[in-house]
Amino acid sequence: MGKLIVVACGAGINTSTMAEDSIKERVAQEGFSDVEVKRILMADIDGFLGRTDLIMVVSMMKIFRTFNVPVFQGMPFLIGSKQEKDELLDKIVEVIKKV
Amino acid sequence: MGFLSTAVGWFLGLGSSLIVMIVLILLGLVFRVGWQKAVRGGITTGVGLAGLFLVVNVIIGALQPAVAEMATRFGLAKTIVDVNWADAGIAWGWPGVAGLIVSILVVNILMLVLRLTKTLWTDVWSYWHGSALAGFVWALTGGNVFLGILAGVLYLVAGSLMSDMTAKKYQEFNDMPGIGVPCGTTVQASLFAMPVVWLLDRIPGLKDWDASPEGIKNRFGLVGEPGVLGFILGAIIGIFAYGTGTGDLGITKILGLGMNVAVMMMILPRMVSIIAEGIVPITMSIVQYMRERFKGREIYVAVDCAVLLGHPAVMASSVILFPLLVLVAAIMPGVQMLPIASLAVVPFWAGAVVPYTKGNVVKTVIVLLLYAIPFMYFSTLTVDAHTEAFKMMGQYGDQIGQGLKLGSWDMGGDILGFFIQKLFGLFG
Repeated sequence: MGKLIVVACGAGINTSTMAEDSIKERVAQEGFSDVEVKRILMADIDGFLGRTDLIMVVSMMKIFRTFNVPVFQGMPFLIGSKQEKDELLDKIVEVIKKV
Repeated sequence: MGFLSTAVGWFLGLGSSLIVMIVLILLGLVFRVGWQKAVRGGITTGVGLAGLFLVVNVIIGALQPAVAEMATRFGLAKTIVDVNWADAGIAWGWPGVAGLIVSILVVNILMLVLRLTKTLWTDVWSYWHGSALAGFVWALTGGNVFLGILAGVLYLVAGSLMSDMTAKKYQEFNDMPGIGVPCGTTVQASLFAMPVVWLLDRIPGLKDWDASPEGIKNRFGLVGEPGVLGFILGAIIGIFAYGTGTGDLGITKILGLGMNVAVMMMILPRMVSIIAEGIVPITMSIVQYMRERFKGREIYVAVDCAVLLGHPAVMASSVILFPLLVLVAAIMPGVQMLPIASLAVVPFWAGAVVPYTKGNVVKTVIVLLLYAIPFMYFSTLTVDAHTEAFKMMGQYGDQIGQGLKLGSWDMGGDILGFFIQKLFGLFG
């Protein structure tokens, strides 16, 4: 079964694209072939929470609720230095490997 | 000289989608994103721009006859067609866009070095607010690209100063250290909120009045869905325009208009998102480069206003505001545009206001009802330059020739933008 990562933002216009790009690039580098990175609106997230292949939520906003999968705040993708970005990507890769 | 003007004429004759494609590929190469990403980005944004104009074409075809019909039936002078984020098409498609991007980057670096601002404006996408205004001024001054760029830079500089004033509050409320949001009408909403909230807090009874955001979301959440909202508004306009028509009493036309407006509400932001997608590699490259240069200084890195939408009070306030704003715009004398597409900007305003109302829904609604009123009037007052900008870019010329007028709240109704347009209008 594939592994689904959703990148959620408020408008689905700009910020989630930046995170999606970075994660996809790293996923390709690591050679994961079963990982899907999907950009969504936070308002639509409930439709994804029930999916059994969901392994992670990356949020571009502050979250005022809890989820049953690991959640990462994706701000370093927008404003982080290369090092901060790589640290976050390392954590994400770790989760992908563990599942 | 002859050759040069022929070449420039040929280039401008390519149309906005091809122009933005070439401009972005060149900028991508200048900012070293790699040629593959540069090409992909340029084509993506060109496609988004073309798609945006297609959608707007659909909505003009559907809405213009309806508002005209309302005008003849009831004498309702609400004939401006609301295209809101179609302004992103002006922003990325007007001839001075490359000049504006480079100018604001240079000005921002200078301001940072001279410590005039703390906002590092690396989010190239959100330049669009300034670039759209620049496009209006370009149209207003009969095609003066230089004045357009000057106006755009002025607007964006003001944006970074406003971001300095609001960044700390945004950071605390949203748990996002290091960000700033210099976006156009969003950050202005915060400035507006400061004194109004201060006042509201001194009115007994109102001070502690609140509503539960979750309760509102559960009950009215459906209205917050752009497609549903669009369908309802389209159908209501349809009833006024075509109700009691011949045959099936106009029901076919009423439902058809509802569907067309729903199409616009859902597809317009998607197209804008495709435009933004192509710009992302350039943004990421600039962020990396600048972060290295300004290490160890307190800096607010500019991000898109979408990061402010997290709090539940944002959507709760918005669904209450949607019908209220349409109603107010409908009864205000002199306001010639019913907001439809423009309602999409309301959640962003709410995101900028909730840090100041501490998530209080009632206060957020009151602040934004007042804030929207100048937008209603300014979008009517700026409509000629706005429409002219579309025409000068080669869009909708035939319909505009027949009297079509295009308006928006974000950026047509923009408060700061209105005064900058007035200022530069003196040179026109």
